[in-house]
Amino acid sequence: MARSEIMLQRTKRYKKMVLFPLIASIMLILGPALLLQLYLSFNYYSIYSEGWWASEWYALDIFSEVLSDERFHASIIRSLGFALASTVGCFIIGFGLALLMYKNFRLQWFYYIIFIIPMLTVPIVIAYTAEMILYQKGPLNGILSAIIGRDMLIMWITNPDIALFTVVLMEIWNWAPFSFIIMMAGLASLPKEPVEAAQILGASRIKIFLEIQLPLLRPIIVLALVLRFLEAMAEFPKTWAIFQGGPGTSTETIPVLIYLNTWYYFDWSKAAAMSYIVMLMMVVIILTAINILQKENKRIAQVQAN
Amino acid sequence: MTKTQKQNFDNVVRYTLLTIWLVIVLFPLFWIVATSFKPDKDWLAWPPVYWSEEPTMSNYENVWGGAMEHTETQYTQSVQKPFTALRNSTIISFISTFLSVSFGAFIAYGVSRYKVLSETRMFQLLMLRMVPPIVLVGPLSLYYTTIGLIDSLTGLIAIYFITTLPYAVWMTKSFIDEVPIELEQAAEIMGANRWTIITEVVFPVIRSGLLATFLFILILTWSEYLVAFILSKTDAVTLPVELAKYEGSSEGRVYGRQAALSVGITIPLIIVGITIRKHLARGFSFGMIRK
Repeated sequence: MARSEIMLQRTKRYKKMVLFPLIASIMLILGPALLLQLYLSFNYYSIYSEGWWASEWYALDIFSEVLSDERFHASIIRSLGFALASTVGCFIIGFGLALLMYKNFRLQWFYYIIFIIPMLTVPIVIAYTAEMILYQKGPLNGILSAIIGRDMLIMWITNPDIALFTVVLMEIWNWAPFSFIIMMAGLASLPKEPVEAAQILGASRIKIFLEIQLPLLRPIIVLALVLRFLEAMAEFPKTWAIFQGGPGTSTETIPVLIYLNTWYYFDWSKAAAMSYIVMLMMVVIILTAINILQKENKRIAQVQAN
Repeated sequence: MTKTQKQNFDNVVRYTLLTIWLVIVLFPLFWIVATSFKPDKDWLAWPPVYWSEEPTMSNYENVWGGAMEHTETQYTQSVQKPFTALRNSTIISFISTFLSVSFGAFIAYGVSRYKVLSETRMFQLLMLRMVPPIVLVGPLSLYYTTIGLIDSLTGLIAIYFITTLPYAVWMTKSFIDEVPIELEQAAEIMGANRWTIITEVVFPVIRSGLLATFLFILILTWSEYLVAFILSKTDAVTLPVELAKYEGSSEGRVYGRQAALSVGITIPLIIVGITIRKHLARGFSFGMIRK
């Protein structure tokens, strides 16, 4: 009895000790920033004020302005669309590659190493390189023209109807490896017996895939989709470095719009109110995602334990 | 079709598809390297120049050797300090990663053995990583300006420490979970206290895991752009931010120089990433996938 009490006390002390740096840094760094953000969204701060502390009280005016701002609505829809499209794109390519590769074959290691390189490349480097490649008179159109046999001068960067799609393509190039490695690990951890049993019973490959492998992989697929979607919502370097929200407002995702409002229009308060709304929205999305992950994590652990 | 014919057909399809993606992956990488050896006139030539007929080292000399010979483009040399950026990037990423992994590992041990964070709390910890940084960097830059941390290495180290901690805790926990508890019990019987058990039994057993975690977080921190871009001005500029400075008001981007710098930034990351390739899935999935 006494011994377990001592253990309990020790555990409490350990808990305090290890969690202290985490809690302290959150309170010292993130806490004040969060408060400042809240303050700015109720008090109008302009660069002509003496400092942020001398801002004028606007009550809910800034929030109501932001909430009725159509540009803001459009950016939310654009971000969601971008995140969805790139997540699905990354997943289809990553899963496809994994399906082609998970069984051992010669050169498997070689393809694996090459295929993970994009996600190890610095995003901003991808942006600048893509810009060169995607110019109307750049190598990508050069290659497409050569394949088709006549000039294909697609305006990847300057056509507002294509621009966001171009960012999706860059995001897919960059992050398909993420889905690829996760699905490779998932496929490798599948138990072999059910598949072999089904083969003996004469089931077709497609049937085995749809009815045995896919259900077993479901938790891992969910994980790959959810994590990628959340990261895509925050994508900034590639969108910003090439497009700065343009042409027009065609690539103005949430991060770009907040950036523009803060550092181009110096409308700090508007940006703070937008950030607050986006943060609340993201917290709801993330809590849902976390809820899903928490459930699936148990299933993944089961699959991986085999 | 006989079985061998079918297998051959499968193989042709497989290698064709894989090779198509291989080309898509390699082409941009080839383009960076090729551009870094091109003289100005080839950067945006039409029809595109795939490999310059007069390859030059001048981009590398200009970026890494500080050569001033360049006259055709008139961007100012003074704003670019690649070596300062290299130093900053190295200091910031190594220190913040070290802090994150060391504190993270102690938290992870507590979670794994004593549940100092409940499962729900562990998942809530992920929020630090999942909330898009853009929603906070604005106010954070004002706050940093007020307390004098703007444009400082300390400021960036602090924020990177916080935002990579979820990865550190989750990833090291996944390794600690695999350490058999009997090892620790044996050490305890021999009279070791908790500190000794952690530092001399547990950490040595998972040292390759700790190294993988360290290198994984190093990759994330090294390539981070947005936060560094906003919280640095001149003194704390990191390599990804430095890239944007190779740009002139009249001539646009100086692609050759950017490519030469990009090669330098990217190659170490690719090498590190390939070294820890077996642990990448574990890292990116917060340790939920362990193979």
